[in-house]
Amino acid sequence: MSLMIIFIIMIALSIAWTVWFLYKPLKENNVSLEASNIALGKQKILELKQDLDQGLIDQSQFESAKEEISTTLAVELNQAHEPSSNNGNSNNTLSIILILILLPIISLGVYESVAPNDPAVQKLASEKPLSLQESANKIHLHLQDNPEDIESWKMLGLTYLEMGQLDSSVDAYEKAYQINPEDPRLLVDYASALISSNDNKFTAKPVQFIKKALELDPDAPDALYLAGMFAVSAKDFSLAKSLWNRAMSALPESSPDRELLRNIIAEITSIESGSIQNEASQSIITVNVALSEQVLLSRSAEDFIMVYAKSAKGRPMPIAIEKIKLKDFSGKAVLSDQNSMVSSNLLSSHKQVVVVARISQSGSAMKQPDDIQASSDVLTVSDTPSIDLEIK
Amino acid sequence: MLVEVGHFALVLSLAFACLQVLLPAFGLVRGDTSLSQLSRPLLWGQFFWILVSFVVLTNAFLVDDFSVKYVANNSNTELPDVFKMSAVWGAHEGSLLLWALILSAWSVAVSVFSKKIPSQVLNHILIILGLISIGFLLFLLLTSNPFERLDMVPVQGRELNPLLQDFGLIVHPPMLYMGYVGLAIPFAFVLSSLIRGQLDSTWLRWSRPWTLVAWAFLTFGIVLGSWWAYYELGWGGWWFWDPVENASFMPWLVATALVHSLSVSEKRGAFKHWTVLLAISGFSLSLLGTFLVRSGILTSVHSFAADPDRGLFILVFLIIVIGGSLALYAHRASLMRSENTFTYFSRESGLLVNNILMVAAMLSVFLGTLYPLLLDSLGLGKISVGSPYFDAVFIPIMIPAVLAMVIGPFLRWKKDSLSRVGSMLTWPFVGIVVLFVLSLLFSDNASVLLAVFLFIWIVLYSCFLLYQRLSNKSSSSLAFFGMITAHIGVAFFLLGATVTTQYGVEKDIKMEVGKPIFIQDYQFVFKGAKGFSGQNYQGFKGEVDVYYQDDKITTLKPEKRQYVTGMPMTEAAIDPSFYRDIYVALGESLEGDSWSLRLYYKPLIRWIWLGGLLITFGAILAAFDRRYRLSSSRTVVNRQRVKS
Repeated sequence: MSLMIIFIIMIALSIAWTVWFLYKPLKENNVSLEASNIALGKQKILELKQDLDQGLIDQSQFESAKEEISTTLAVELNQAHEPSSNNGNSNNTLSIILILILLPIISLGVYESVAPNDPAVQKLASEKPLSLQESANKIHLHLQDNPEDIESWKMLGLTYLEMGQLDSSVDAYEKAYQINPEDPRLLVDYASALISSNDNKFTAKPVQFIKKALELDPDAPDALYLAGMFAVSAKDFSLAKSLWNRAMSALPESSPDRELLRNIIAEITSIESGSIQNEASQSIITVNVALSEQVLLSRSAEDFIMVYAKSAKGRPMPIAIEKIKLKDFSGKAVLSDQNSMVSSNLLSSHKQVVVVARISQSGSAMKQPDDIQASSDVLTVSDTPSIDLEIK
Repeated sequence: MLVEVGHFALVLSLAFACLQVLLPAFGLVRGDTSLSQLSRPLLWGQFFWILVSFVVLTNAFLVDDFSVKYVANNSNTELPDVFKMSAVWGAHEGSLLLWALILSAWSVAVSVFSKKIPSQVLNHILIILGLISIGFLLFLLLTSNPFERLDMVPVQGRELNPLLQDFGLIVHPPMLYMGYVGLAIPFAFVLSSLIRGQLDSTWLRWSRPWTLVAWAFLTFGIVLGSWWAYYELGWGGWWFWDPVENASFMPWLVATALVHSLSVSEKRGAFKHWTVLLAISGFSLSLLGTFLVRSGILTSVHSFAADPDRGLFILVFLIIVIGGSLALYAHRASLMRSENTFTYFSRESGLLVNNILMVAAMLSVFLGTLYPLLLDSLGLGKISVGSPYFDAVFIPIMIPAVLAMVIGPFLRWKKDSLSRVGSMLTWPFVGIVVLFVLSLLFSDNASVLLAVFLFIWIVLYSCFLLYQRLSNKSSSSLAFFGMITAHIGVAFFLLGATVTTQYGVEKDIKMEVGKPIFIQDYQFVFKGAKGFSGQNYQGFKGEVDVYYQDDKITTLKPEKRQYVTGMPMTEAAIDPSFYRDIYVALGESLEGDSWSLRLYYKPLIRWIWLGGLLITFGAILAAFDRRYRLSSSRTVVNRQRVKS
C-alpha cells in the first residue's frame, strides 16, 4: 500500500470521526453559568455556616461574609450574558463542507511543506529498514541507472566494508575514485578498505592516497590517524605520535576519538620503552565456546562465529579476533598477538580485556540485531587465562 | 513507511488542533451548539494522533531504525530496551513530542472530568488549550521534527548520554512536564474567563483542583530531578542553582502563590488581580523555561539543543502568549474590582504576604538567572551568579514566608485580633521554646538552630491546628489535611536542607587498599577496584567497607564506567538511611592499587525529598477535596428571583 493511500485513509478516518460527532453531538451538561454560580454561592454559605458551627468565626463575621457572598453573586449574575443557543443541526451541511475542506487542506498542505523533498529519502520512507545485504542490492540497482552518483558508490563501499566483503568494497571505492580523485574523505575511506583487504598491511597505493588526502586537507583527523598507523608499521614511533597529536588537536574537545588517540599514543610509548615485547610471549587467551542446542538448531552453519578480545577500559573495537564459519568451528579459539587487528595495538599491550564470543549472520564487526553473544568478566592478559563461554 | 505515518499523524493532530479552535469558536459566536460541542471530539482526535505519533517514534527506537536521524543520534543496538524507550524523550525533539502529548492528555482530562463546568465555559477553555497546542505542534513540525530521515543510513546509532541512562530519566522529565504543561490549565481557565468577560466563582472554583494537581506534579518533578542529580551526577549535592533548575523553580514559586491566591479569590472574592496575573505568569514562566533550555542560551547538563531558530520561535510564541494575555488582562481590569474588604490582621493579609514573598523570591531567582545572560548578550562582560547570591537573597525572603505559613492558618478571614490569636498560641509557643532550649544542648550552629526552631514551630503548630479541628468534632476537609501535610513537608525540607548543608562532610581523598579513613564516627576501608562490564559499557567497581564504631555496617561498591562511545560516567554508591547518607564515588586510578575517591557524609539529606513528597501528597489530597466533586444544580434558576 502506498504512503499516499495510507494518508488518505488517515484523513478519511479523521473526517468520519468529526462528522460522526456532528450528527451525534455529545450531550451538553445543561448547567448554565448562572446556575453554576448560584450553586457555588450556596455552597460557600454552607461552608461559612460550618465555620460558624466550629467556632472559627463569630456571628457578626458570619453575617458580614454572607452579605459579601450575596453581593459577589449579584455582581457575577450581572456580568453573565448567556449566549443564545441553537441546538438544531440545520447548518450541518456547511460544517461538513468546512471539515471536508479544512482537514485535508491543513494536513496535506502542512505535510507538503515539512516533508522531505529529497527523492532518495522519500524512497527510503516507503520501505521498511533494510539489512546490509538488502541495502547493498538497492544501492547496486540505483547505480545501474546512476553510474555517476559518487555518494552512492561511497555508500556501497562502506556497506561492503561493514559486511566484511573487502574486495567488493575496494571495487566500489575505486569506482567513486574514478569519478572524483580529489575527495579527501573518499581517499581516506578507500585507503582504509585497501589496508583491510590486504591483511592490515600498508602497500604503496593506500599510502599514496593518505598523502594526497593530507595534501588536500592537512588537518583531516582520519587521514592523520592512518598516516600515524603507517608510521608505526615503519617503526617511526615519534612521527606516529606527532601525527596523532595533530589529529587530537583537530578533533573537538568532546570527541570520544580523542580518548582513543590518547590510548594508542600511550601504548606506542610503552612499545618504545620495550616493556611490551617482554610480555608478548605470555599473552595468550584460550577460549572454549559451548553452543546450546537451541542455538545450534536456530542458526545456519554458514553463520560466522567471532571470538574477540576488547579493551576493558576504552573503545569497543576488537583488539584480537578469530572469525570462522560455524560449520568449521571446533569449539576452541586462541587469541594472541598473532590475531591482533593492527600491529600497533597488540593484545599483549593491554593489561585487562573482555572476551566476547558472538554468532553473526553477516560477520560484521558491529553487532547486528539478530546477533547473539556471550561475554567474559574482565581478564588479566598476563595470566594467560583459559575461559569457558556459553552462547545460549 | 511507519515513520512517515507517525510524521503525518503529527500533522493531522495539528489539523485537529486548528479545527478545535476554529469550529467551536465559530459555533460559540453563532450560538450553534452542534459546532461548539465539537471542541471535545476534536481534542480527542488531536490526542489520538499525537499518541500514534509518539508510539511510532518509540517503535523506531525499539527496532533500531537508524534511518531516523533522532534515533541514530540518541540510541544504538547495545542500549537496553528500557532506555531505548526513555531515550524517546532523552533529547530535544522527542521531549517536545512528549510535551505536546502531555498537553493534549491534560486537555483530555479537563474535557472528561469537568462535567460540572457549564459546557459553554468548557468549550472556551478547550479552545484556548487548542491554541497552545497549535503553538507547540508548529514548533515541533517546523523546527524540531523527530521523524527526520537520514539519506545515508548508519549501521549503528550513537549513544544516549550515559547520564540519561538511568531510572531518573524515565520518570523525571515526564513528571516535570506534567507540572509545566499542567500550568496551561489554570492559564486557559483565566484566559477563557477574560475573553468571556466573566471572572466569576465558576472558574475560580473549578480551576483550583487542576492547579493543585499541576503544582503537585511540578513539585514531584523537581524533587525527582534533585534526587537524580544527587545520585546520578555524582556531585553529591541536591540543588546547584543551575539555570535550568531555576527555570523549573520559578514557575513552582509562582504556582505556590497561585494555589494560595486562588483560595482567597474563591472563598472571599478578593485578590482576583493577583490570581489572574499569577496564572498568566505561571504558564509564561513555563514557556520561558522552555525558551531558556531549548534556545541554547544556557549551557548546562540540560542544554542538549543549541539552536537559535528554535529559540526565536519560542521567543515569538512567548511574546504572543504574554503580550496577548496581558493586553486582555488590561482590557478586563474593571471586572476584577472587589468590594470585599479585609483588615491588616486577617487570613487574607497572611496569604497576601505569602503571595508577595513568593513573587519576590521568584524575582530574585529570575534576576540571578537572567541578569548574567542579559549582560553577556549586550556585550557588557561575563559574570557568574552562583549559590552565594541565591543563598544571600533567597533565604531571607523565605524565613518570613515560613513564619506567615505557620501563623496564617490560625487567622480568621476578613478580621482578626492579635490578642485572640496570641492567647490561643501562647501555650504551644512555650512548648516550642522548651524544645528549642533542649536542642541547644546538641548544636551551637546558628543556621541549624534557626532551622530546628522553625521545624518545631511548624510541626507543633500544625499538630495543634489539627487537634483543634478534630476536637471540635467537625468534619475537616481533605483540603485542610492537604494543607497540614504540605506545611509539615516544608518543615522537613527546611531542616533537612539546613542540617545537610551545615553538617555535611565531603572529602576528596586518595585511598590506599586497607588503609582506613575517618569521617565523623564512620570508618572507610578501601578494598580495591576491579574491572567489569555491562551491556553497553565497561568499567571499574570499587569496594569500600564502612564501619560505625568498629561495627561493619555496609560494603559500598561505587563504579566508574566507560560507555561504548567513550563517555565516562561515575555511579556513586550510597548507604541511605532516614538520618544520614554515606556516599562514595570512585575517582581516578592512581599509582599502585590506590584510587582517588569522594566520601560524603550527608545527615538528614533524605528529609529534603521527604519534605517534597509530603508537599506533593498534600497537594493531591487538597485536589481531591469533596467540594470539587459537588455538582451544581441543573435547574436554571430564575435570574430575577436570585437577584432580588
